[in-house]
Amino acid sequence: MAHVVGGFVVPHNPVMYFNPDGPDPQQKETVQAAYRTISDRIGELDATSALIIGCDHYILFGPTCLPRYVISTGDLEGPIDQLPGLKRGPIKANGPLGTHISEHGFANGFDYAVGRAMTVDHSIAVPHQLLLEPHPQISTVALMLACGVDPYLPLARAWELGQQIRRAIDAFDQDERVVVIGSGGISHWVGDENMGRVNPDFDAMILDALNNGDVDRLLGLSDEEITEQAGNGAMEIRTFLCAMGVCGAAGGSTVAYEAIPEWVTGMGLAELEVSGRA
Amino acid sequence: MNRDILEKVLYDLSTNRANLKLFSTEPDRFLKRYRLSEDERQAILGYEVRTLANEGVNTMLTWGYWLQSGRSNDDYLAAMRQ
Repeated sequence: MAHVVGGFVVPHNPVMYFNPDGPDPQQKETVQAAYRTISDRIGELDATSALIIGCDHYILFGPTCLPRYVISTGDLEGPIDQLPGLKRGPIKANGPLGTHISEHGFANGFDYAVGRAMTVDHSIAVPHQLLLEPHPQISTVALMLACGVDPYLPLARAWELGQQIRRAIDAFDQDERVVVIGSGGISHWVGDENMGRVNPDFDAMILDALNNGDVDRLLGLSDEEITEQAGNGAMEIRTFLCAMGVCGAAGGSTVAYEAIPEWVTGMGLAELEVSGRA
Repeated sequence: MNRDILEKVLYDLSTNRANLKLFSTEPDRFLKRYRLSEDERQAILGYEVRTLANEGVNTMLTWGYWLQSGRSNDDYLAAMRQ
């Protein structure tokens, strides 16, 4: 039997790679230490598989076809948008688990798009590198939600999708210990006139909701409110909601938070508790 | 302006090196692939990112298209803040 054994949310900020020494050294070290802490925690959980929930940045999918959500059911490679120190290459994938989640979804009202040989962008590759590469036994399923390009996946659907994924994992007949990673956020403005702005108050509210399992607080946000208060990049909190759905919204704890204008992002990292953890 | 076709042009430029090369050497030939008004053509040729963003073009695309041309991030922000 498969079990969800852990959940996390982390940023996938590419500016960390382009401008590594931009921030105050203490802030940089705090963030890097938080990634290491979470990676170590994944090792402690004896995870065998990871589901990374990311989002396209208008580079994989274009105006000709914009999937609401797409899951890997076979091989993985990326990132398509290479970064300094993060080159494109194969990612160890768990095709059977991704296939099972998608087929469970098909049978229960979730019309996944699937990537049978999927390329990912930095939203998957950054957490993979920072959290999973130290654990070569872990294989990955990638899920990408419509967070960066409209029409956006509704917040409620991201939550429902996470709940479906949990039911699917619980019904998977292989012995897997799965961690789920919500990749993104928190406040950041991408490519507009506010780029570089960060909103620590909004970020604190999001982390508080995560830590208290307060799904309703997040579902009560409108897209306009998110964009106004925290930028177009904060639409990525959909990945948090989806991860919360997988974990059962059982609460959590902040690992680190730093507001880093030089990295144009409120960098929030947290661990999610898992309801009914084996 | 047609936001969708503007996004198609910028997406095609940002994801395909051959398109970017053709646009940089023969922009008119490249843009003939798309049904663009003269205003739309001029906005693309002139890197009028503020205009494009005002028309609803995703700013992940406007930012990438600007930087791919060799223009600076500071100049991009100045253009967007006009």
